[in-house]
Amino acid sequence: MNLIAAATAEPSLFSPEWLPRLPQRLVELILNNLGAPEWLVSIAGFLVAASTVVGVFLGAFALLSLIERKTLARAQNRLGPNRAGWFGILQPVADGIKMLTKEDIVPAKSEWLLHLAAPILIVVPSILALGVIPYGEHWTPVPLELGLLFFFAVGSMTELSIFMAGWASGSKFPMLGAMRAISQMVSYELPLMICALGVIMVSGTLSLPRIVELQGGFQLGFIPAWNLFTPWGLVAGLLFYICSIAEANRCPFDLPEGESEIVAGHMTEYSGFKYALFFMGEYLGLFAIAGLGVTLFLGGWQAPLPGLGFVPTWIWFFGKLALVIFSYLWIRATFPRVRIDQLMRFAWLCMIPMTLLTLPAAAIWHFTGRGFVSWVVTVPLLLVPWVILTVIYNKRLAPARRTYRFAE
Amino acid sequence: MIPILILTPLILLAALGAVWKARPVHAALFLALTLALNAVLYLVMGADFIGLIQFMVYVGAVAVLIVFSLLITRPKDEADEIARRPKSLLPGLVCTLPVLAVLLHVVSRVGAPDSEVPAFSIGDLGKVLFTTHAPAVLAVAVLLTAVMIGAALFAREPGGKPQPPSDS
Repeated sequence: MNLIAAATAEPSLFSPEWLPRLPQRLVELILNNLGAPEWLVSIAGFLVAASTVVGVFLGAFALLSLIERKTLARAQNRLGPNRAGWFGILQPVADGIKMLTKEDIVPAKSEWLLHLAAPILIVVPSILALGVIPYGEHWTPVPLELGLLFFFAVGSMTELSIFMAGWASGSKFPMLGAMRAISQMVSYELPLMICALGVIMVSGTLSLPRIVELQGGFQLGFIPAWNLFTPWGLVAGLLFYICSIAEANRCPFDLPEGESEIVAGHMTEYSGFKYALFFMGEYLGLFAIAGLGVTLFLGGWQAPLPGLGFVPTWIWFFGKLALVIFSYLWIRATFPRVRIDQLMRFAWLCMIPMTLLTLPAAAIWHFTGRGFVSWVVTVPLLLVPWVILTVIYNKRLAPARRTYRFAE
Repeated sequence: MIPILILTPLILLAALGAVWKARPVHAALFLALTLALNAVLYLVMGADFIGLIQFMVYVGAVAVLIVFSLLITRPKDEADEIARRPKSLLPGLVCTLPVLAVLLHVVSRVGAPDSEVPAFSIGDLGKVLFTTHAPAVLAVAVLLTAVMIGAALFAREPGGKPQPPSDS
């Protein structure tokens, strides 16, 4: 048959490296054989590629919701969900059924249109942002020339939708939660972008697949040439990591939805599937920001050691992503929540000066040949201000011991 | 051409909503919608960089700042706003009509654009900005820094020292 001949003509079609793009290419093959016009083939292929990414990450979201509960439970010396299925593997399904069948409550004083639009507008940017990340050498859903800019542009919409959720609920707690969330996200988005600027300066491009390609190869034969293993990249990567936790509103920066303080923040007045959408948007945003961190600093789909080229590249990406996400869970299980004034002070007095320092360091790194001389110049440039800032802040700006008026 | 014909009425409607809505929050959200649709217009016309920057700066930063300042300043009742409307009509027209006249004049003089748009990468844009137009960029940077310091001075508490966190 014609189709089988066409499929076998492409030897790479069924190789593991191309596995994530198999659905897209099969659909394109079939449509081409049926004699469909060119535009229809490209649109159908595009839709299938997009659904692959959405499907993968919705599956990962379901899995992560279980893994997170299991990890937290282990950190607290208990078992976690273990009744639904083997090791609680069906728990996400049970949660999903519960969320879908719950009553959808819309408060009487809410603005129903904005109340409805907010959860949708929080999921859409996260999914859009996931579309430009290179997951493997041959698997970038939308290889945009301005990919990094696109990521930040759609990501900046989240704040507005959080405001809509908080305001349209017509209630006090969501409003306070939205105010906290917006001030936190605005403050931490700035250092986040400045961290990414260093990578843009050194790579000379905004295209995410190209940034990953430039991190290929090894120094001294075994150290991968990732941006993390440069002096400016190490600092920028660490700061990016902290900012990404704050951007994703996760513990210890989960003030916008701290249960013990303001119920659930901007999600207080939501129930049922709309609440599930918020949850989903938050986790998809977490995947997106962690994936961006992996792409910018951890070499994306590049293998960590030489001689591992036989492993499909997307496995490396998802392995690194899993490690980063696990570190988020570990931090959540370990650290207490910070106070809002500590959070803001940390952002404006510590994060922003340090991130600004990575820019001249990256420039010097680029123009002194990226060798021994660059190390000698950039390491003191970053280390000395860091130590000085730490000493000053520990002395003068460390949060004072609180005195309680009504409690001992 | 067709996307532009669909987009421009939408932009106009959103802009009218931003002016006409009595509740400040609604007006701000309509303004955000107008700015976002403008970004889409740029993207449709092939100016990807400007479109994404428009989205990031105006929707992500300016609209959020407006909305946030509405949150913390607790605006007045909307009845006041509607009562104030006739009085603000004349100053509004005085401010906007000259701008409209200048824009119309410029647009009528330019005429139809060439069909061939020269290819212009971001790298070229950056080079032009930081070599030939470097003085202008520096001047804007100095101006913005001055504005930021001024705003910080205005916002400062008269006591001088930053307030310690209030105890509870």
